[in-house]
Amino acid sequence: MKSISERATSLTFVALLGLTAGSFALSYVHLGVLNIPVALAIAALKATLVIGVFMELAVEKFTVKVTMVAAFLFVVLLVGLMAADVATRATAPLLPPPPS
Amino acid sequence: MSDAGAEHLDHFQDLEQQAHAARLGIWVFLASELLLFAGLFALYASYRAHYPEAFGWGVEHNVRALGTLNTAILISSSYAVATSVHMLRRGRPRFAAGLLVFTLACGSAFLVVKGIEYAGHFRDGVFPGGHGEFFVGKPEGVKVFYTLYFLMTGLHGIHVVAGMGVLAWLFARILQGKLTPPHTHPLDIGAVYWHLVDVVWIFLWPIFYLTPGTF
Repeated sequence: MKSISERATSLTFVALLGLTAGSFALSYVHLGVLNIPVALAIAALKATLVIGVFMELAVEKFTVKVTMVAAFLFVVLLVGLMAADVATRATAPLLPPPPS
Repeated sequence: MSDAGAEHLDHFQDLEQQAHAARLGIWVFLASELLLFAGLFALYASYRAHYPEAFGWGVEHNVRALGTLNTAILISSSYAVATSVHMLRRGRPRFAAGLLVFTLACGSAFLVVKGIEYAGHFRDGVFPGGHGEFFVGKPEGVKVFYTLYFLMTGLHGIHVVAGMGVLAWLFARILQGKLTPPHTHPLDIGAVYWHLVDVVWIFLWPIFYLTPGTF
């Protein structure tokens, strides 16, 4: 198996700390409706760095990569269907039943 | 494969194939972990859409500095494990073992910080399942928020403990001289699991600490 270079690992660590500091600072800035999407986008970028470099998925064999792609698509499918259900119900599905 | 060195198990053609099978195995396991946590994140999203004020208020109530400290701790521990893998491949087992000790210290520090946070919640009368005097007179959404908070951070905490157990076992194997190049893939697998713990926290941090208020 190919290996990620030690230099790339160190640079990734610096980038992760930078993104963490940036996300922390941004949480005090009022971004309105963009607040959650921006925080999650930074988190997704950090997760991509950890998975690609620290976990060495970027240089893994095809079978390993396709495993994660399949898992990701499965999550998209299931969460997408759930979101569609929650968003389109006429009555709120999430309220707990009233006490009897 | 009980002895050290490049011996591979009989049913593999060579060590490279054995290492690949082991790595594929851990990634399939991580795929199942992904489905487990994705379900909980989807639940959080649905309830946050339903109770935006309560969730925004709950996030505000968490101590952002402690959550951020734990993020930095876990990212540092991930870097230490990744470097430990490099060092073992390079044939520097003592350095690799030392980095695992640092990682275990990081994991312990994470649990201590989380424990301080939980203790603070319990002092305030916040308990899982909406129990405790804190919730008297509070809207229903606050109970849901804290139940999800305890469930998701608690499940993550269990993963931290499990990861520390795996890394402690690998530490012992390295000291016994059982993991030497080219037979280093068991550490790869333990490291990949530890990174998963980091990745989950990377997403827990924004949803429970960084996004107060309603939008």
